[in-house]
Amino acid sequence: MILDLHTHSVVSDDGRAKVPNYCQWIRARELPIEGFVLTEHRQFDFASDYSALARQFGLTILKASEVETEYGHVLVFGVTETLTQAFDFADIHLPLAQVIEESERHGAVPVPCHPGRKRVGMAAHIDALGVPEGVRIVEVFNGGSRGEEDRIAAAMADEQNYRGIGGSDAHIVSHIGRCATRFDGAVGSEGELAEALRGGDFEALSYREQA
Amino acid sequence: MSVNGITDVEFGDTLPVFDPDTSLANVARFVEAAHWNAPRFTDHEAARAEGLPGALVPGIMSQGFLAAMIHRWAPKAEILYVDTVFRAPVVVDQPCHINGVVTDLDEATGEVEIDLTVTNEAGETRVFGTARARLPN
Amino acid sequence: MSDAIDVEALRAAYLNQVFDEVEVTLDAEETAAYAVSCGEVAACFTDPSDPDFQAPPTLPARLHPSRRRPKGFPKVVGLGMDAGKAVHCHRPIRPGIKLTAKTHMHDIYTKTGRSGRMVFFINRMEIFDPDGQLLASADTSSVVRERPEQ
Repeated sequence: MILDLHTHSVVSDDGRAKVPNYCQWIRARELPIEGFVLTEHRQFDFASDYSALARQFGLTILKASEVETEYGHVLVFGVTETLTQAFDFADIHLPLAQVIEESERHGAVPVPCHPGRKRVGMAAHIDALGVPEGVRIVEVFNGGSRGEEDRIAAAMADEQNYRGIGGSDAHIVSHIGRCATRFDGAVGSEGELAEALRGGDFEALSYREQA
Repeated sequence: MSVNGITDVEFGDTLPVFDPDTSLANVARFVEAAHWNAPRFTDHEAARAEGLPGALVPGIMSQGFLAAMIHRWAPKAEILYVDTVFRAPVVVDQPCHINGVVTDLDEATGEVEIDLTVTNEAGETRVFGTARARLPN
Repeated sequence: MSDAIDVEALRAAYLNQVFDEVEVTLDAEETAAYAVSCGEVAACFTDPSDPDFQAPPTLPARLHPSRRRPKGFPKVVGLGMDAGKAVHCHRPIRPGIKLTAKTHMHDIYTKTGRSGRMVFFINRMEIFDPDGQLLASADTSSVVRERPEQ
């Protein structure tokens, strides 16, 4: 199953895409993804229910979060209500160690995203802060990153033996599906996604040339 | 081919790419007309002294490029809304491309929504946004 | 710098209160030059003699309030940049008529970006004709980027 693991909708402050239009775009352009994960900035969107839309378009639509730490931005998959009470998702200075510890305690999976970018990516902070404990997966293909930024991410993942995921980091409709992640099995819920990431049977994909 | 009305448009249509004039002379003309004259827009050295990569195309000019692109594609389009997010500087004298695709369409109201991006020669998105326009039925 | 800024206090004190009102009359030749340099080709935007001559739709984004911040607003130090512009167009804006532009702070928030921590300020300017009809509104999002040493 192929999912775009990093997208933003109008729920994010800089998102300009409406979720129904993402669905319509995926089908109209016959993109090879079977669903996507909405990773809204600094929050978990409890309010939106996309289940009817998912059924209508035959897509899997899941929710996660993108939070901000001293090592840059981090996607958190498998967010639960209790996890959102464990730390302040809106805080832009979260300690990565806390995000990792609390995520694992609550069954979620933290994944530093666009790690090759300056400031908001993990690689830029390793010299000053050291290699963080507990990172197992990073985003090696990010649709919004420049080529050399993904190369930095891939090199860091190789060096540290991290697994890699892919996500488009779409903020507008036409950017969805630029990067994605292939899972060996089916993923139908936030919990199953976290489980699949922990299991390690996945592969990052980039479709940017075709997009 | 230009578009005359909503019936000429389909979801997912790609607008013809527009390569705007980002020359120093044209940007200087723009900032004069806009009353936005400042060295960071018209003087590469002064802009670099401010820590910028070179003289910048003002954000409002990039936004103007986006609207012009829509009018070139659909001359009768009435633009209702243009929203742009400036992700990275557009540098004067460096070519850029304006790209647009139709991402929503309502035949009843004649309204279309368009994703817009300004990309540089390396294909990197510098500015993105959305616009809503009304086309004749 | 922005560590000292209490964003919540600023929001409570300043949001949604008109802090500036200016009158402006657009010059036809300048308006046409604005449109031409952006790449507009239609006569209604580029030719002041066209019977339907009007400002290009994004022009409201270029209008400045007489002050960028409300009176008493704390001084914010750092490299200021435009972060975004949004224009809502309601009716055509014709050069030569007196426009009134009223500005209020619409939002203030922080986030981190490629260049470090940033504070965003969103001003909304609403533009009215002499009859008080709303012609357009322009949201200007400005961001102050903290310098690395700050």
